[in-house]
Amino acid sequence: MNTRLPRLPATRSALPGAIATACLALLTACSSMPAQNAALDQARNRLAAAQARPETVAMAADELARARESLRRADQALINGDSVAQVDHLSYLALQQVVIAEDTAASRGAQAVVAGAAAERDRMRLALRTREADTAQAQKSAAEAVSATRTAQLAQSEAATQAERDRVARRDVTVSGLEAQLRDMNARYTDRGVIVTLGDLLFDTGASQLRVEGQPRMDQLAGFMKRYPERHASIEGYTDNVGKAADNQTLSDRRAHAVMAALIQLGVPGSQLSTQAFGEEHPTASNGTAAGRQMNRRVEVVFAREAGDLVSK
Amino acid sequence: MNSTFSDRPTRTACHPLAWPLAAITTALLLGACASPPTAPPQLAVAEAAVQRATTPGTSGDAPAELRVATDKLAAARTAVAAGDIDRARRLSEQAEVDARVAELHADSVRSRRAAQESQDAARALAEEIQRKTVR
Repeated sequence: MNTRLPRLPATRSALPGAIATACLALLTACSSMPAQNAALDQARNRLAAAQARPETVAMAADELARARESLRRADQALINGDSVAQVDHLSYLALQQVVIAEDTAASRGAQAVVAGAAAERDRMRLALRTREADTAQAQKSAAEAVSATRTAQLAQSEAATQAERDRVARRDVTVSGLEAQLRDMNARYTDRGVIVTLGDLLFDTGASQLRVEGQPRMDQLAGFMKRYPERHASIEGYTDNVGKAADNQTLSDRRAHAVMAALIQLGVPGSQLSTQAFGEEHPTASNGTAAGRQMNRRVEVVFAREAGDLVSK
Repeated sequence: MNSTFSDRPTRTACHPLAWPLAAITTALLLGACASPPTAPPQLAVAEAAVQRATTPGTSGDAPAELRVATDKLAAARTAVAAGDIDRARRLSEQAEVDARVAELHADSVRSRRAAQESQDAARALAEEIQRKTVR
């Protein structure tokens, strides 16, 4: 504006008016010149910075609006030419309003973080619980499968046990029946097996023919052997030492065969039987006495030992 | 001041009680002058604001800000006593906004701390879950 001064027309009549215009222009320039106030600038800058942060604008819009209004009042005071103290004061209030907006935004942002973190924790806990439940379910299913298998195995095992028990029970019955009959026949239990002795009284002296009196005993033996066809019997002949050994050997063989023949005749399968002749060997008593010699003249029916048999008594 | 009066060489006949009475009157007048001029309404507002802000929480989390507010309130009272009502009004207004700043600053400190704690808790939980998953 004052650049116009050199170009002022040099007319005398116009000069006072021109000077007045210039003065007015100068005054206007002075008044329109941006007045400076450090506190106001500080508040303005701080407000500008706060407004540049999107989170502050989003979180504290009302507070920022209040700060802007405060700053506008401070600006107005400066324009109005209010005292520096008053402008400083309003600037300070505006500055503090910006601080309030900043703190409010920070608070709300942090609260949002808290809420977000809480939601995140809930989400994680839910996920964990779901996973735990799934795992538990899977474990339960697996356990149930195992349990089912075990139950089946147990049932199977129980069935097997029952079968075994039944078998044992049947065998016990068998054994007890066997035992009773063998007892009737004065059977002896030895390491070789169960021995039934057919005494000398069944045979005539020097003869291998069975006496009629021995028939009940033979029936008993035959009955027993037919009932237990799995039991093999060895028929062994023995004599005393009277006479030649060779003759005794022959006699014992014939007597053993006579017993076998009698049993076969009574229906015992031959495959179940065998004979052996021992002659005067293996005496059970002394040949020195008549009673001893009688005990030595004998035929023994030996049932081989079987599992479950009583060993000896 | 009244000493100036008393030093005055006046020897006119008077009531014996005239001097003491004058002295008392003068003292009363002066006292009236010295009594606090009317406090600006902003002072009461500032006092209420500062009182509200003065909590253990604010003292703990925004002690400096609260101190600014209380100091300014004290200064406002002093200004009232000194008869500078304009200054008292400004200081009151500033004390009020300072008290508000102290409160909100304490709020933001607390909130930030809570945010930190909850983030830590979330991280701890995530780690725990991680361990459980690995196991």
